[in-house]
Formats: sequence, C-alpha cells, structure tokens
Amino acid sequence: MLQSLASNSCVRLIQSHKSTWYFVSLVLGYLLYLIFGAVVFSSVELPYEDVLRQDLRAIKKQFLMDNKCLSEESLERFLKKALEASNYGVSILNNASVNWNWDFTSALFFASTVLSTTGYGHTAPLSDGGKAFCIIYSVIGIPFTLLFLTAVVQRIMVFSTRRPINYIHTRWGLSKPLVAIVHATLLAMLAVSCFFLIPAAIFSALEENWNFLESFYFCFISLSTIGLGDYVPGEAANQKFRELYKVGITVYLILGLIVMLVVLETFCELQQLKQLRKMFYLKKEKPQDRLAIVEHDHLSFTTVSNRPSVHSEDKTQTFVSVQTLGSPNDDPLIQ
Amino acid sequence: MARFKLAQVKVSRTALLALAYFTYLLFGATIFQMLEREAENNNRNHFQLEKLHFLANYTCLDGPALEKFVQVILDAWEKGVNPSGNSTNPTNWDFSSSFFFAGTVITTIGYGNLSPSTVTGQVFCVFYALCGIPLNLAFLKQLGKCLAVHLGRLERGVVSFVPHKVQQALAVSFFFFVGSLLVLVIPPLLFSYVEGWTFGEGFYFAFITLSTIGFGDYVVGTDPDKEYISLYRSLAGVWIIFALGWLALIFNMGARVMEHVVVLTHPGFKKQKEEEEDVSSSKPEDISKI
Repeated sequence: MLQSLASNSCVRLIQSHKSTWYFVSLVLGYLLYLIFGAVVFSSVELPYEDVLRQDLRAIKKQFLMDNKCLSEESLERFLKKALEASNYGVSILNNASVNWNWDFTSALFFASTVLSTTGYGHTAPLSDGGKAFCIIYSVIGIPFTLLFLTAVVQRIMVFSTRRPINYIHTRWGLSKPLVAIVHATLLAMLAVSCFFLIPAAIFSALEENWNFLESFYFCFISLSTIGLGDYVPGEAANQKFRELYKVGITVYLILGLIVMLVVLETFCELQQLKQLRKMFYLKKEKPQDRLAIVEHDHLSFTTVSNRPSVHSEDKTQTFVSVQTLGSPNDDPLIQ
Repeated sequence: MARFKLAQVKVSRTALLALAYFTYLLFGATIFQMLEREAENNNRNHFQLEKLHFLANYTCLDGPALEKFVQVILDAWEKGVNPSGNSTNPTNWDFSSSFFFAGTVITTIGYGNLSPSTVTGQVFCVFYALCGIPLNLAFLKQLGKCLAVHLGRLERGVVSFVPHKVQQALAVSFFFFVGSLLVLVIPPLLFSYVEGWTFGEGFYFAFITLSTIGFGDYVVGTDPDKEYISLYRSLAGVWIIFALGWLALIFNMGARVMEHVVVLTHPGFKKQKEEEEDVSSSKPEDISKI
C-alpha cells in the first residue's frame, strides 16, 4: 500500500536512469540487502531467544517440582509466562524445542515479510536492539523495495501486457479496448491459478492441519500484504527440510507480489477503469491557486496525476513506443 | 456561478467517497461481529471447561498432562482468547474491536492479534479485503490531496502577511513540523501513557503500524487488566487513517522536492521531462495500485 505513495517519484527516477546495468545492480543490491538483514536479525535475536528459552525451561522444571500442592495463583502465573513466551514466538512444549525462530532462513523470511510490509507477527524482535534495527532497516528498506518492485513491474509490463496487446491489435485488427479487457481477464485467471490455487493445493498437502480453504486464505492474506499471521507455514514441530521450505516461501512471496502488481497495473491501464478512477480524483486546481502554490514552493512542476488526460488513448500508444525504444532488445514488430 | 457549481460537485464527490468508505468500514465491522462472536464464545467456554477440569485434578499432575494443557492454552491464545482472568473479560469481537479489525485489514496493517477463525469469516475476509484495499487507497490519496490543498490555502494566507522568501519557507516548514508533531509524535506518547509502555515501545508501535507492517506484538487496547473508555480503539483507528493520509501528503511533497532537486542538478532534465510528461500523462498511477 505504501507503493502508491511513493510511486510517482520511483517511476521518474527509473525513467531517468533507464539502463539495464542499473537494473541488474539494483536486483543484486536488493538481494544483498535482504541477506544482510537476515544476518543482522539472526545475530541480534538468537542469543536473546536462547536466554528466554532457558528461562522458560527453568520455570517449567520448578513448576513440575512443586505441582503436588499447586495453587491457582501459581497456575495463573505459569500461564502468563507461557503466553508471553508464545507472543514472542517461543513455545514451551517439549517437542517444539527443535526449531529456532531466528535461525538464518527464518530471519530471511522475517526480513522479507518486513520489507513487503506483510508483517505476520509470528516472530517479532524481542530485544531493544532488534526493535531499533527493525525501524531503521525498514525506513531504508521499504522505499528500496518499492523502487525494486516498480522497476521489475515496469519491465515485465512491456512483455506481459503492452506487446501482446499491440501484436494482436496490429495482427488481427481487433479493437484495442476489447483486446485489453480479454487480455487482462486471461492474465488475472493465469495469476490466480499459478499463485493462489496451485500454491494453496501445495500448502494444504504440506501442512498438517490446513485444508484447501485455509491455504487459499493464507495465500491471499500474504499476497495482499495484510499478513495477519494466524496461519504461517513451516512452523510445525517436526517440519522436514525446514530451511528449504522457508526459502521457498520467501521466493514465492516476492514473486507473488510482483505478479500481483503486474495484474493490478494491467487492470489499471484499462480505459474503463481509468474513467472510473478519474471520477473520484480531484480535478486540477484552479490555475491561479496552483500557480501560487508552485511559485512559493519553488516547485516548478505540476502533479501529473491531476492532469485530465483527454486523448489518453493516443498518449498511451505514444508512451508504449517510447518505452520500447528505451528497452534493450527491441522487437521490430511494434515499430 | 459555474465555478461555484463545479466546486460543489467536487466537494460532494469527496464526501460521497468518504461516506462510502466509512459505511464500508461499519458494514465490515458488523459482519465480522456477527460471524465471529459465537465462535469466540465457544472457544472461550471450551477453554474455561478445560481449565476447571485441570484445577480439579491438579493434585496428581504429571508432565504429559501439563503439556497437553499448555497446548490447549496456546491454541486458545492463538484464537485471541486470553486464558488468565475469568470469563467476564470483554469480548474480542464487540463492535469497536470489529471496527478496529476491519480497519487493520483494509489498510493492510493486519496485526493478527485478532483473526477470523470461522470458515465464513475467512471467506468474507478475503472478499472484504479484495474490495476494501483499492477503496482505502483511493480514500487515502484523496485525503492527502485535500490536506495539501488546505495547506496551500493556509500558506497563501501566511504569504500575504510575510513577503520575504526565507520567512515563507520557514513558515511552511513550521506547519509541517507542527502537523507532524500533532499526528506522528503526540499520539504515540498518549498511547504509551495509557498502555504503560516506554516511549520507545510507543514509537515502535506507531512505526510498525504506519508502515503497515503490523506485527501485532504491541496493539492498543488489548490488556485485559486495564479499563479502557469504549471509544478508545475506534479513536486509535481514526488516528491510523489520518496519520496515513498525512504520510501520503509528506511522501507527495518529498517526491516534489526530489524532482526539484533533480531539475536543479541536471539542467537538461526538465525540458526532457516536460516532453515525457506530455506523453505519459496517463501514466503516473500505473504502479500506484497496491
């Protein structure tokens, strides 16, 4: 959701530096940044988790020792401790002691959920240092994620939407809005089946207690970046190939987010939706108002989004050809 | 006359959008409340029974029994039931909490301290978010623009008093400072005072909320030992929405300032961009939809 707020500047930044080299280094830098976050989280949180775990074990032993004359108060106290621990993602059950919440792959998973603003909350930083780092990490990381996603989606859009539509438009001479609508519907169906239905089936097979609906619910809550955290995969007590599983989920989340953005943008480029949206947004301010604001701010451009685009059909076409010219391997079909 | 009419239409559209937004929130709150209350009651009763059972047998308590018991408690906890205290604890799905939950879903914060546990609740949650998230975006954008317009008016009022440019810039930054203080600094202080958090924790809560990450490790109005005024959580929800709108405004201004800097440092860039703007005037909301 923050994407919307920072998008304009991102789009412009990218348009001004439109080279593949920047793009590749951006992707690499992004991956490095994720790994860096995982390392720091892991090293900050692991000792603290260990302390907490031992603490809990001691309490439990104590409890078992004096449970012959167990009173309600001691029970309540015990419960409170247990719940606090479970809030922080530490289970006091015997059979759950195998998994660490802050081993490397889990920390990687955590970092990716922070940066995509999903934030399941099944593990959250416990120490003050972890919290402070979490704030700083996401202050830098979230805009970075936006930049990354914008760049990726812009590039994918050329291949997934603009070129196929143009190709069909020129090849069979169908009207462009019709092609766009059919294309958007097909793309949405493909995305839903590849990133919701198939993963949901996989999750319901891999996770013990999840049925298909719950898995689908998990996929939706994750890819919409809501991240309630009531279902988190890979948290079962004796999960096989836990590391691999966690990394796989991280990759799935990032890919899914990109695909969701591509589908959304495809829908946003539909003429009908554009008109619908225009209805709700403010028209351009009265010219003298705008001039006054702009002049006194020394900000010498108008917000583009306010500008009513009258011939947006033609303009989109022009924009497409500009975009294609700039991209590295030109497809001669479009020219 | 014509201009007056236009202004009226503009206002009514904004009002309509705001009205639709709040209706949607209220509607969601009602549905969630209806769907979840019974299940929550069942969970709660089940847990209370388990606890009584345990207390009756505690003289001969052994390890496995304890494990089982703890497992039950944790399951209950994950469903939002606090096992300490008695069954007269305020319900998790009363109206103001449901409202709060609906707000956290469509702003994609998703604390997760509350989550629907019935099948219908989950299905509804999916569709509710599907329609609600775009609506929320449109609303926030509009809110940011409205704030910007009013700020512009205020600014012009100031400008007519102080003609000097440096002073103007100072006045503008002063308004930003006061606004940020009101929206971003004072509420966390209030929250940490009410909840008994340190200021660091309050700030952490505000950040995790406003960045829409929403871990749910700190959530306002969840302590069972505290008496809150009934509107507390709803007020918190309103704060979240306005703070997000304010952040949208700041991001907008930030983008403008950034462009200004780019124009200053690359003299050739502006002309090129003007052309690009012509071409891409239908473009800027491309990515802006999540």
